[in-house]
Amino acid sequence: MLKELFIQYAFFLHGSKRYKNIKTTAYNFLLNSDYEYKKYFDIFMISLIVVSIAILVYEVKNSVADWVDFFDIYLVTAIFLMEYIARVWVHNDWHKQVVKEVGEAEFLNRRVSLWRPTKETLKGKLRYLLTPTAIIDLLAILPAYRPLRVLRIFVLFRVFKLLRYTKSINQFLSVLASKKFELFTLLFLLVFITVTAGIAIYVFEQNENENIESIFDALYWALITISTVGYGDISPVTPEGRVVSMMIIVSGIAMISFVTSVIVSSFSEKLDELKENRIIEELNKKDEFMIICGYGQMTRMFLRYYAKEYTNRYIVIENDKDKVDEAIKEGYKAIHEDASRHDVIKRFNLQYSNITLLALTGNDIANIYITLNAKSLSRKIKVIARARTEKMVKKYQLAGADSIVRPNIIADRMLYTAITQPVMYKAIYAILTGKNMALLDEVNLSQSELLVGKTIEELEFKKQKLLCIGLQRAGEEGEFIFNPPAKTILEESDILLVMGRKVSIEYFRSIYRKVKYV
Amino acid sequence: MFNRKALMFGYSNTTKFLAENLTKELHYLVIIVDDEESYQEAKKAGYRVKLLDITDDNALEELDVAEDDYLICVMKDHYINVFLTLSLHALFPKTTIIALSESYHATQKLKMAGATRIIDLYQVSANRIHNILTKPVATKLIERLFSPEEDFSFKEMLIPENSILDTVMADDFDFSKHGIILVGMIDKRLSNQFIFITSGLENRFDAGDTLVCIGYNDDLNKFEEYIKGKENAES
Repeated sequence: MLKELFIQYAFFLHGSKRYKNIKTTAYNFLLNSDYEYKKYFDIFMISLIVVSIAILVYEVKNSVADWVDFFDIYLVTAIFLMEYIARVWVHNDWHKQVVKEVGEAEFLNRRVSLWRPTKETLKGKLRYLLTPTAIIDLLAILPAYRPLRVLRIFVLFRVFKLLRYTKSINQFLSVLASKKFELFTLLFLLVFITVTAGIAIYVFEQNENENIESIFDALYWALITISTVGYGDISPVTPEGRVVSMMIIVSGIAMISFVTSVIVSSFSEKLDELKENRIIEELNKKDEFMIICGYGQMTRMFLRYYAKEYTNRYIVIENDKDKVDEAIKEGYKAIHEDASRHDVIKRFNLQYSNITLLALTGNDIANIYITLNAKSLSRKIKVIARARTEKMVKKYQLAGADSIVRPNIIADRMLYTAITQPVMYKAIYAILTGKNMALLDEVNLSQSELLVGKTIEELEFKKQKLLCIGLQRAGEEGEFIFNPPAKTILEESDILLVMGRKVSIEYFRSIYRKVKYV
Repeated sequence: MFNRKALMFGYSNTTKFLAENLTKELHYLVIIVDDEESYQEAKKAGYRVKLLDITDDNALEELDVAEDDYLICVMKDHYINVFLTLSLHALFPKTTIIALSESYHATQKLKMAGATRIIDLYQVSANRIHNILTKPVATKLIERLFSPEEDFSFKEMLIPENSILDTVMADDFDFSKHGIILVGMIDKRLSNQFIFITSGLENRFDAGDTLVCIGYNDDLNKFEEYIKGKENAES
């Protein structure tokens, strides 16, 4: 009976949109670095940590007011505790395991076990609890336990907790982690020299030097000397001891140089990667952005004219390092990657952002592969691809490209118009390039209550020195009405196509303020 | 049909497209190439073709070029294309030179060399991409207007003498009754420049003015015939 209730509860949670929304929001705040508002949560937590540590330092020599104590002990700790519990909660889902178990049990015709999914969920949560970051989170809560004053020192773990919220420290650690082998080798060498020198000085000076009474003193001296700190509290008095000193000092200098060079080289190796990660992270926070694949003539031309309109909302992916350097030199945001690779496109916020991908390399095969790669990851990505030949268009369509641009066809048609209709060539050119005198603009009615229900006649386009060219009815397959009749009634989600001077359109905009321009 | 000639320099897909579509529009069209292979290919395809050294000014000078003809430079090599434009501009300064460019820098050079119109392959494509992103409905319409196979287009119409439109004010005439939209015109009284109808100027139609309209081809053709009539223009 109880089991049935638990199963029903699991299914209720599984189907509840509200529960899902709450958990997704919690996940976004705690773990999704692409989430726009996560940074505010991080700043709030960092502030709490800093205040908490400041109180600890102040308390060493001063007494603090009761409310400060209350704030530190109860409020800050309560927030940390809630965060800790929330992290454990979002780590995995019990209801999903139960639903899976029920499905499998039905399929295999066996009894449903509630213990199996519960065990799996608990195991997952336990694995999380044993991770270093979760342990730090727990230790950061302990200082609140007043009967044990010694636990106050665990406030320092709140400093470590900063690691969660500051990317730069994490990045520094990840760079060091990439040179783990080199750093461990140097550490081993350091231990070896320190122990050898410590034993040597102990043997030579134990009876001669009153400051060296034990092997610990000798090891302490060796470490202080090899690090080139040299406090001077212990110094060799015998010639043998001084020789050991000289050797250990030279080794120390060499060791420090090695460590420095390893860290510096790992940083220089990782610098580009860190920069690229930062660009992608910034981009992933945007609601919509553009990925431009390839830095050829067309990308150059596109960015030359439109980079300002898409500031901070685009990235160029190019697999030729020289071209990437060239793009960066021109002031564009570019990274050295292969856009046809699955893991490269996967780094972008495919779930939450509206992404437009421009496949503009000079190679049709590469562009088709890039299109397929993007579409296989998310059908939501809008792909605009460049086709070199007419024969390729069908292939791009099959690959899922939403729009196909054929530079030669466009240019040929422009040439044709320039010859056959020279007078209006300039007019068309102005319309195409969006010149102020003849802007062709779209007015989306989806969010405008002011325009919906009105007739074309009522909008008095002529009076406002605008031309109503057409009306696109809602939906992808919606009808396009050219030169709509005066009595046509505007409907929600229609798109009006108007032409006129920029100032006329701005005025139209001011009348119908809720009009959304696409 | 225009009583004009077009001389196209270079043999490529662009030349083929233009040659096929311009035959109806122009009374004479010749492709000029500077290599034997292209010459044979163009000849085999049935085009009127001429082989000459285009770097030789004497050879170019011998071409029969009038002031209202078109010189179309679509050479594959952009160095030669710029050089040819310069040579043609020096030899025939009043003739319209239309050139195809494949880079921003080549466009600048073609401008300096004297090309009257330059179609930059990548600039028009960049504009197209931007329009797809920002004005998808408008872009579809423009694509239809540009596509020769569509039944929908732009059309220039000359107002003939004694037309029903003669001396009619632009604001007083209802084009929508004819299913077309007047985009702009060349008002001979004011200037020889193209004026958008939305520019706010009060235009009067007179014989000799040129109208630019958008609409379905049938409606545009009917309207062109209509304005030749002498009845009173409706208001």
